[in-house]
Amino acid sequence: MNKAKKLLLSKKMIILYWVLGLIAVWEVIASIVAVTKRSPENVLPHIYQVIASVFSNTMAGPTKTITQIVISNAGMTLWRAAVGFLIGMAVGYILALLMSLFKTVEKVAFPYLMIIQMIPILGIAPIILAITKDIDASRIIIAAILTFYPVSTNVLAGFKSVQQEKLDLMFSLAAKRKDVYMKLMVPASMPYFFTGLKIAAPMAITASILVDTLQGGGGLGCMLSQSLKHAMSIYVFWQIAFLSAIVGILSFCLMGVIEKILSPQRKAKL
Amino acid sequence: MTEKMIKQQDFEFVEKDFSEPASTKIKIKIENVGVKFQDKNGIEPVIALKDVNLAIKEGEFISLLGPSGCGKTTLLRCIADLLHPTSGKITIDGQSPRDIRLQKKFGIVFQSPVLYEWRTVRRNVCMPMELLGLPKKERTAMVTKTLELVGLMEFGHKYPHELSGGMQQRVGIARALAINPELLLMDEPFSALDEFTKEKLHVDLLRIWRKTNKTIIFVTHNIQEAVFLSDRVVVLSPRPGRVSSVVDIKLPRPRALSLKNTPEFNDYVIKIRNSFEGV
Repeated sequence: MNKAKKLLLSKKMIILYWVLGLIAVWEVIASIVAVTKRSPENVLPHIYQVIASVFSNTMAGPTKTITQIVISNAGMTLWRAAVGFLIGMAVGYILALLMSLFKTVEKVAFPYLMIIQMIPILGIAPIILAITKDIDASRIIIAAILTFYPVSTNVLAGFKSVQQEKLDLMFSLAAKRKDVYMKLMVPASMPYFFTGLKIAAPMAITASILVDTLQGGGGLGCMLSQSLKHAMSIYVFWQIAFLSAIVGILSFCLMGVIEKILSPQRKAKL
Repeated sequence: MTEKMIKQQDFEFVEKDFSEPASTKIKIKIENVGVKFQDKNGIEPVIALKDVNLAIKEGEFISLLGPSGCGKTTLLRCIADLLHPTSGKITIDGQSPRDIRLQKKFGIVFQSPVLYEWRTVRRNVCMPMELLGLPKKERTAMVTKTLELVGLMEFGHKYPHELSGGMQQRVGIARALAINPELLLMDEPFSALDEFTKEKLHVDLLRIWRKTNKTIIFVTHNIQEAVFLSDRVVVLSPRPGRVSSVVDIKLPRPRALSLKNTPEFNDYVIKIRNSFEGV
C-alpha cells in the first residue's frame, strides 16, 4: 500500500499527471471552441489534428509540406540561438572571472549589468540590426545578450559561495592564484554555472524566435507571424508553437544532462 | 624542485621512541602576542588575545584549551599565518609564519572536513601535492601511504558524500599529512563527531603522531580530549584571551582508552576544570 503510494507520487508520475492534465484542459477548450467558432479556420485544433498535420502531405508553400517548412525554419532559428548562447556563455563566464579577480571591475560593472537586462529586447533588436546590418548577426547578438547575464551573475555568486575554510586551505598551502581558480573556484561554482545555463538556454531560444517575428529573413518567428497574417495554414502556427515549447524544455534538460556528465560526484549519487 | 623530490622520497614514518627524552629544541616561539579586532562601529576594539607567551617544543603534542571566545582558534590562525597579530611576534624555527607557509610546512585540519566534493578521496588527499608540483608516481605512493595510516585504504575511490563524518575527518587528516608538513595544526577537528567515533580517532591520532613525529597543535574545548592527547595543555581564559595556565600531562605513553579510567587521568581533568572555576 505504502509502496503504491510512493510510486504514485514519484517524480515521473507527477510529470505524467501534469501532461495528462494539460492535454485534458486543452481538449475541453478545443471542443468548446469547435462548437462555438465563427471563423472558417479551426482556431484551436485538437491535439491529434496537430499531430496528424505533422505527417500530412498537404503543401503549405509551392514546394514544401507544412512540416518541411517548420523544420527548415527551426534549423535556422535554433542555429542562431545556439551560437548566441555559446558566445553569451563565454562572455558571461569571462566577465564573472574578471569581476571575481578584480574588485574594481565588480564595483564598476556589476550594478550596471542589470540595465542591459532591463531594456526590452524588442527595443534593442532594431537598433542592433541597424548597426550590424545583418539579420543573422543581430539575432545571434541578441541571444548572446540574454544569455550572458544569468551566466555571469550565477557564476559570480558561485565564486562567492566557496566555503572560507576551503580558501584558507589553499592559502595555507601557498597556492598560486591560477591553482586556486583551476582547482577550487571553477569546480566549486559548477552547480551555479549550470543554474545560469538552465535559465539562459530557453531564453536564448525565445529571444531568437521573438526577434524573428520582427525581422524577415526566415526563422520560426518569421513563419509564425506570416502564418498568422496570411492564414498560411493554422497548422504551421501550431506546429511551431509546440515545437518551440518542446525545444525550450529540451534545452533545459540538455543542460542538466551535461551537468551530470561533468560532475562525477553526482553520477556516483545516481 | 629536485631538492623537494629527494626530501619527499627520504620521508619515512619512523616510530617514536618514548624511552628517549623528548626533544628540547624550541620549534615555535610566541612572544607577547596580542590580537585586536576592530569593532564594527569602530568605537571599542575587541581584544581577542592579550600578551600570550608560549614556547612549543619540536615533536610536542600541545593542546590549546578554553571555552568559546577565549581566542584559541585566533592563536592557531596566527601561527598558521591566516591572521596577523596586532602586537608581538611569532617565530617558527626562527622564521616568520609567512615564510613557513610559503615553504608549505603547515598541515591544517579544520573543524569541518573541508573536502572537495567533486574529487574522490584519493584525489582529495592528492590535491596539496599537486600544488607542490610533485610527480604523479610520488603522489600516488604518498596517497596510498597516508590513506593506510588513517585506515581508509578501501575507500580511496569513494566521493566525500559517501563517507561518514568520522571518515571524512580522517580524509582531512590524511590530506594534511600528505605533504609531510613539519607542523600539524588542528582546529577542533573532532568537535562535530559523536563520542564513540571521537574516542577511536583519538587513539588513531596518537598512533599517527607516534609514527610521524610531527609537532601537533590541537585546539579544543574538551578537557578530557586535551588531557588524553597532549604532552602539555595550554589553558586559555576569555575576555581578553590570555594563557591562564600551562599543565604538563605526565601520563605514560603510548596511551590507550583505558587510561581514562585511571585516577591519575581524572586528577588532571579535575585540576584543569578547577582552574576554570577560579577564573
